[in-house]
Amino acid sequence: MAATRRLQKELGDIRNSGLKSFRDIQVDETNILTWQGLIVPDSPPYNKGAFKIEINFPAEYPFKPPKINFKTKIYHPNIDEKGQVCLPIISAENWKPATKTEQVIQALVALVNEPEPEHPLRGDLAEEYLKDKKKFTKNAEDYTKKHSEKRPAD
Amino acid sequence: MNSSNQITDTDEASRTNPEASSSTFSNEKKSTDNKDEVMKRAAAKKLIERYFYQLTDGCGNPHCDNKYCASSGEMKPLTPDEAAAQAIQLFSQDARLCERHPNKIARKQGNIGSNKSETTNDVNYKSNLPTNEIESQSNYSNKDSAKYNCAPVPTFLTEQALYDVIDDCEANNSYSPLIRTLGEIFSSIENLSKSFPQEAITPTNATSSLENTDIKALKKEEVRSLEGEKDKDEDSSAESSKNSFAPVDVSSVRRAFTALFKLKTSIFENALVNALVTLAGNLQMELPTRKERGINDDIVNVLIIVFEIPGLGSGDLLETALPAICRAAQGLPVEVQASLARQWSGVARSSLRNILENLQQLITLRAMMTLLRDFCVQDENVITSATKLMKILYYANMLAGVLESPELRYHSLTDSTDGLLSKPKNTLPSDPLADELGVHVLDCRTPYIPFSEFYHEPLSEAVEMDRDFANYKSETGKFSFMHYPFILTPATKTMGLYFDNRIRMYSERRISFLQTFTGLPSQPFLKLKVRRDHIIDDALVELEMISMDNPSDLKKQLVVEFEGEQGIDEGGVSKEFFQLVIEEIFNPDYAMFAIQPESQATWFNPTSFESDAQFKLIGIVLGLAIYNNVILAVNFPMVLYRKLMGKRGSFEDLQDWNPVLYNSLKQLLEFDEPNLEEVFMQTFRISYQDVFGSTIDYDLKENGEKINVTQETKYEFVDMYADFLLNKAVEKQFSAFYRGFQMVVDESPLELLFRPEEIELLICGSKNFDFDELEHSTEYDGGYTNESQIIKDFWSVVHALSTEDKRKLLQFTTGSDRVPIGGLSRLKLVIAKNGPDSDRLPTAHTCFNVLLLPEYSSKEKLKDRLVKAINYSKGFGML
Repeated sequence: MAATRRLQKELGDIRNSGLKSFRDIQVDETNILTWQGLIVPDSPPYNKGAFKIEINFPAEYPFKPPKINFKTKIYHPNIDEKGQVCLPIISAENWKPATKTEQVIQALVALVNEPEPEHPLRGDLAEEYLKDKKKFTKNAEDYTKKHSEKRPAD
Repeated sequence: MNSSNQITDTDEASRTNPEASSSTFSNEKKSTDNKDEVMKRAAAKKLIERYFYQLTDGCGNPHCDNKYCASSGEMKPLTPDEAAAQAIQLFSQDARLCERHPNKIARKQGNIGSNKSETTNDVNYKSNLPTNEIESQSNYSNKDSAKYNCAPVPTFLTEQALYDVIDDCEANNSYSPLIRTLGEIFSSIENLSKSFPQEAITPTNATSSLENTDIKALKKEEVRSLEGEKDKDEDSSAESSKNSFAPVDVSSVRRAFTALFKLKTSIFENALVNALVTLAGNLQMELPTRKERGINDDIVNVLIIVFEIPGLGSGDLLETALPAICRAAQGLPVEVQASLARQWSGVARSSLRNILENLQQLITLRAMMTLLRDFCVQDENVITSATKLMKILYYANMLAGVLESPELRYHSLTDSTDGLLSKPKNTLPSDPLADELGVHVLDCRTPYIPFSEFYHEPLSEAVEMDRDFANYKSETGKFSFMHYPFILTPATKTMGLYFDNRIRMYSERRISFLQTFTGLPSQPFLKLKVRRDHIIDDALVELEMISMDNPSDLKKQLVVEFEGEQGIDEGGVSKEFFQLVIEEIFNPDYAMFAIQPESQATWFNPTSFESDAQFKLIGIVLGLAIYNNVILAVNFPMVLYRKLMGKRGSFEDLQDWNPVLYNSLKQLLEFDEPNLEEVFMQTFRISYQDVFGSTIDYDLKENGEKINVTQETKYEFVDMYADFLLNKAVEKQFSAFYRGFQMVVDESPLELLFRPEEIELLICGSKNFDFDELEHSTEYDGGYTNESQIIKDFWSVVHALSTEDKRKLLQFTTGSDRVPIGGLSRLKLVIAKNGPDSDRLPTAHTCFNVLLLPEYSSKEKLKDRLVKAINYSKGFGML
């Protein structure tokens, strides 16, 4: 695969960087185009759990952007029930081939920590977030406790 | 006449400010005492001006290393105020001033001449600092005699000379010297061709200024495609320097005409018209006597100057002078046409649109007159000669635009792998002007003016295509617009194609009628009998048989019969046939074609298992659709039509093929950092995914995996990548497709009449957005339903939008303006509530076709916000 070298380097760099908010990166030996990992947010209400995501790189990477999917259910205005997320840094219009996956993950973590109710994928949650922040936080916290993965020990 | 060299430096500012010059004039007369003072101030002003223009425009030297010069590229852009402030500072510091660059300065206002006054006139007493006033003593230096109307008749005109005549006339309130001058100059080929000469510049200067002024504005890869053109220009300037005729200084001409037309036109219009009519007569007489190639630059100069006249599109100039000039110019030898086209595409390019409009104005006028008189437009000499001139403009417009290498056209390929794509023997005769210039409309990526501006609606309506087609076919050399297809609208050209088709079909039928007597009956129609549930197989078998036994049958009128059905094909049945075949063949399950997710465009599946015959069939179907005037619901990217017309796909074609890939590759090209290899880690091996989702590798070069893409090789990489995706990967599929298409259209004038974008129009019809369909399939979220007031308002606003705005709305919400196969209902648009009433604009998630709409308080507000959002969508809607 053409992108192998770059992806391997990026993977190595991310693993070495010791990112606290993205861990447990698993990549199938035979297919470097699919990564799995754990998002570990540090802002409430999501800091009660961790969220599994999958990153899929296209064959044409880095000339086409990767796609990100949440495997763990999350109560978030910008992530829909299917786990799809609309992240501007990897949207078709904005994608830059020089963008590193590490930057993409940082943008994702920032979005999880700081929801953007102005551009929601789930209008109901966005409205709740804007109108009744307390209720939203409570719901999200309950939801996180119920559905999310366990946070790594350290 | 060395004064003329100086004149081009004169700044127009002084023309527009008569007080400034007259005050100096009076100073000159009064005393010499405070003259020095005035001169010094004027010189200082001039110097500051020079600094100013150096800061804003640069000196014109592409290798300039002065950090206070815009040409050095080391400066950030300044506002005029900043530049002015800095200019004064630089003046006080006596900072470095670049050597002026001849061509550049001629274009700009407000520069002073060199520091040595070269005027030989008796004006040096004034000062050793040159000013406009000194230089103004040109061949009209003898002001006194001019006043008395007995000036020696000039043999040529310069900008300054014209100013002087005008000044004198204004001072004396008598315009006869001006009228005499115009009469003498504009009636004579010799006098006019020597007028407004360019400063003697060496060819190297000429090309470097071309580099500076034109290429600066272009993007890098466009520059690459221009390299060839630059060589040509060099040739032409070298060629012209052999002659005694200096090229015309177009900007000087423009300034001079601007000054002239500041006067009341009634003063000089008659004189100018009469002179031009005489000039036209002279041209008409002289042209046939000229044989030898290369000495016709005077005529080029004359035409360049004449077509710069600002009032050419109105009044007597339009009605009398322009027709005469057009008629005279139709006898131009092709070499002169070519050098005129080159000149127009070069320094005079900014006039192209004006000249085009003037010619169109003339044609409109004449076409209306012929309609009244029930006269055939092809017989109206002014219309035909203006059309011929317009052809020169058409080619100048291509030369002035972005050209790609002619190597990309098939016929110049010797590559044996392209053997299948070599053109059929009976190609149409190419245009002599195109041959002389070495360009073809297919080479033109972006014309300087959009091609559609050459369409002439009133003429297209007035042309009777049956008669025009008869002229086209006749061997007497009658004028036919079929040779000037740029002027006709696609609708009119379709008529030309229609007559060609009909005549061919009739002749086929007549032959088969004759054959019934000779005992060899054959079908007058192309008859297909198919079963509905085996439509592809049956059509394949039948068409395959026909294409093997008797390919010319494909040109007959199509008649389709569905087995077991009674319908007689009067057009409706074959329309249904086309529709069914297209639906079937583009069905993703069939896997012949794949859809580019990013652009919704259909493209060949490079890993298709289908045989060549299937692809040939779809090519035949496309050809038959054109031949039988049927519009197909296909969604190919433009590159397909370019390929069908005979040009290989290249990097720029990726733009509508797959915009994401195109933008990424463009960023690779624009990446100027030295660490390109580390950032991209790209090799000459690329990967793509087949329809089943598995990844396939391809080495663009042998051992591509081991060859890094570097700053030096990135262009090569991008070109090879595009060549692979658009040509090599689908070679087999496309050549079968192409053969099928050619089988139907090979002898028709299709290639002569239509450009690729017009072929698309012919096959797909104009893009029509069925928003009713979209409304029915749209879903709502976040609290909206199809009953919500805002949703009702939304659709009533949207249905009232123009087609262009509907296109923008699609682009805005889905990221693509293409209609997916199966129509807009396949888009699955979602409109979601985005909070209560607010001033925010609507936004969109193009990833999921979601439109986010705040609940605006009124319909008017909704409309206002929506229209704003779709028109400024670049940069909006992003988080």
